[in-house]
Amino acid sequence: MSSELARPGLWTRAQRGSVERLHIRLESLLVLLALAAVMAALSPYFLSFSNFLNILLATSTIGILAIAATFVISAGGLDLSLGSVMGLSGVAGAFVTVNLGVPWGLGVLACILTGALAGTVNGQLVTRALVPAFIVTLGMLGIARGLALVISGGRVIYGLPPELLYLGQGRPFGIPMPVVIFVATAIVAHCVLAYTRFGRHTLAIGDSEGAARAAGIRVDRHRRVLYTLSGALAGLAGMLFMARINSGDPTAGLNYELTAITAAIIGGTNLFGGRGSILGTMIGALIMGVLQNGLNLLAVQSYYQQMAIGAVLILAVFIDQYQIRKETRS
Amino acid sequence: MTLLRLSGIRKSFGAVQVLHGVDLDVGRGEVVGLVGDNGAGKSTLMKTITGIHRADAGEIEFEGRSILDLDPGQRRALGIEMIYQDLSLARQQDVASNIFLGREPTKKWFGIIPGIVDRAAMDRQAAEMIRRLGAHLPAMNRAVGSFSGGQQQTVAIARALTFDPKLVIMDEPTAALAVREVQGVLDLIRRLKSEGIAVILISHRLNDVLAVTDRIVVLRHGRAAADLETARTDMNEVVACIVGGSGAQAAAVHEGRGAAT
Amino acid sequence: MGRRLATIRGSALALALAVMSTGPGVLAQDGQYAVLMKTLSNPFWGAMGQGVEDGAKEAGIDYFIQAVESDQAAEPQLNVCNTMLERQPVAMITAAINSTNLLPCLKTAQDRGIPIVDLDANLDPAVLEAEGIEIAFRIGSDNVAAGAQGAEYLVSRLGAEATGPVLVIEGLSGNITGQRRAQGFAQRLGELAPGLEIVASLPGDWDRGKAASITNDILTRHPDLVAIFAANDGMALGAVEAVYAAGLGDQVTIIGVDGNSDAVKSIRDGRLNASVAQLPYLVGKQAVENVKKVLAGETVPKDIAVPTLVLTREVLEEGSEPLLQYVK
Repeated sequence: MSSELARPGLWTRAQRGSVERLHIRLESLLVLLALAAVMAALSPYFLSFSNFLNILLATSTIGILAIAATFVISAGGLDLSLGSVMGLSGVAGAFVTVNLGVPWGLGVLACILTGALAGTVNGQLVTRALVPAFIVTLGMLGIARGLALVISGGRVIYGLPPELLYLGQGRPFGIPMPVVIFVATAIVAHCVLAYTRFGRHTLAIGDSEGAARAAGIRVDRHRRVLYTLSGALAGLAGMLFMARINSGDPTAGLNYELTAITAAIIGGTNLFGGRGSILGTMIGALIMGVLQNGLNLLAVQSYYQQMAIGAVLILAVFIDQYQIRKETRS
Repeated sequence: MTLLRLSGIRKSFGAVQVLHGVDLDVGRGEVVGLVGDNGAGKSTLMKTITGIHRADAGEIEFEGRSILDLDPGQRRALGIEMIYQDLSLARQQDVASNIFLGREPTKKWFGIIPGIVDRAAMDRQAAEMIRRLGAHLPAMNRAVGSFSGGQQQTVAIARALTFDPKLVIMDEPTAALAVREVQGVLDLIRRLKSEGIAVILISHRLNDVLAVTDRIVVLRHGRAAADLETARTDMNEVVACIVGGSGAQAAAVHEGRGAAT
Repeated sequence: MGRRLATIRGSALALALAVMSTGPGVLAQDGQYAVLMKTLSNPFWGAMGQGVEDGAKEAGIDYFIQAVESDQAAEPQLNVCNTMLERQPVAMITAAINSTNLLPCLKTAQDRGIPIVDLDANLDPAVLEAEGIEIAFRIGSDNVAAGAQGAEYLVSRLGAEATGPVLVIEGLSGNITGQRRAQGFAQRLGELAPGLEIVASLPGDWDRGKAASITNDILTRHPDLVAIFAANDGMALGAVEAVYAAGLGDQVTIIGVDGNSDAVKSIRDGRLNASVAQLPYLVGKQAVENVKKVLAGETVPKDIAVPTLVLTREVLEEGSEPLLQYVK
């Protein structure tokens, strides 16, 4: 019925092998390893177990937000409220435990539910009121941040119950709790996105909404679930940071949403939807984490760091688009 | 035995009324051609059958039962499949993902974790279906967006045929194909008929329609203007019904348009 | 499929092994001080950095200094702090963005026996006590006294019998420095000139633009405003622009805090009326000097207050004030 293409070369086959098995992109992994090698060569402090844990710890909150971003963006949506909801959730959790004396378990729940609630509002507006996700979540960005400042009176709410502190400061087997929670979340999220129906449908919706509808997928309902999930993850991130510094900080997560989205894109998520993997996003987040950590160790000023991250993002998207253009016929 | 019966289907989009009360019957194993000028409402009508659009008024009965309250997934489960004009494929996903979209086979990890997509089963069945269609695809695990138009259509066809359909709707299936591929589609339609599967064929190419269909329904201005038996009609009559008046000039114009697609 | 993939797998494995095999403290560095600022975009912190540099040079100390992109980037500053600890400094001198964001890092520093210096008094003593963190000393300007000096200047200019509305523009919400300055000002003003009424005390978040907006709004409500006290120079200069744009430059007395170079220029130009100059240069210099003492085993006071100086056009033009040399 049609002609066969020429047998693809070794490099392409290796890539497809990775794509097939682990749902990551070879290029991202190579960039990460190369970056790590460069940093190790430039700074004697880089290659140590404690610095390695340091990088993971610094990447935990952004990483969880990036997981949220991956799900939403893969379905063709966008969530700009991630950082603000993270801040609001931390404040909410601190408020109920410190000011209302609620037990610590409910405090954790308060964080996650606050995030889920904000996400649900986003989802309702996007799917029912048909307001574009960019605008809805941009509005939520302001509302959540403002609400966090209102509830906290503009100052940090200090003094959480000690059990809660363990979630942010405990070190089971020497590994910081936030890292444990982050890695566990990433593993579960990866399995959901790559191996379950829910995950496959998420990608299909972002790829072609028409195809998804024709396939009987309840697109709107699925989107609402995704936004709620995104908010809940932001709530989890907020809870972790709150537990780390023993206070609800209304300025937590400021501007984090852009970094989270950047991590997802560097890791191979298609900004317009239809392609994404959590493992890939983790690599993207680690690339940024290694970059920041390495530059910090070298005492490079933060302005250069911002330039470096911007450059890596553009490079990553360029490579991505180049691949797509090679693979797709016009 | 009537497989599908549409009665009085009306559909508007905002202020524009596209379907003004369409009646259409399709019997088991029957091949019905649906023709009409651009904007007559052919695709819209088909989408009310598959459930993408909700009809404003009218009744749709499949195997004697009303399906108006069913969503696209449920209608597919009854055996109604469609190959859309734009194929409606998820271009960044691979072949098996597209074929099984919405009805992926699942298994349990370690016997307890449910809802895991059974990729092995999917890939196997998808490869089998592609083989049965007698097609060759570049690779099963590449994004279908990288395939040629004809190959993508193969995937869309495989998607429509994998789950034992009773009715297959094809919307302009030959529009972008080469001559040899067009014959492949027509042969496929004949094969489906021989297996007792009903087909609705929307096409501009009247020669194709005359070649494979049992009946031809002409849609004009959102109404079924004519229901012709293929064996007893010819090109001129069909064109006349489409355009709404006899005249060789009109026919030539239409033929010219049809040949250009 | 392999050679490329195998090489990658191999190098990843090697990298992992290398990471696992090295523990912390592989390289012993002799005596570096770690200095963590908020951000370098405000000249105030730039002057402090200069003081640190000069102080270190005089004391023969090696140090490294870092900052984050804004004075609201709480978690990033925490991450930088943790990374700085990786370099095994002998002292941590930090200017925390708020009273809690560096707590985990400071705890780790304390566990490693690294003395902690609260630069510019950003940490809340109550919080430190609750967390069990003991700092070597805190050094900064007495912000309450600075606020009070601002009030004293205002009263000296308008007279103790003066009446009229006054606007106070606070710092970042919840920031202790801003709170102290505002409190010091309000208290002293109430003591000296009860006729001057503070009609609004709003947070300007250390932001010039925000302060300008606040000023505009308050001027609309109180067109007879007589004075504005802003908790830092950046905000004071924002207020200056708003006031002059409204044509009320002669009516409103504007006072800032910090004494940074932008403020000095504005005072010389006759726009900003006064700034209670902190001497960040001195703060930085004395911080380093005192850390050296601490490390040498000497005792230093827990609270080191660096004096502040009210800068006005007269003071600047006269130029005889000895502390002026520390105004950078």
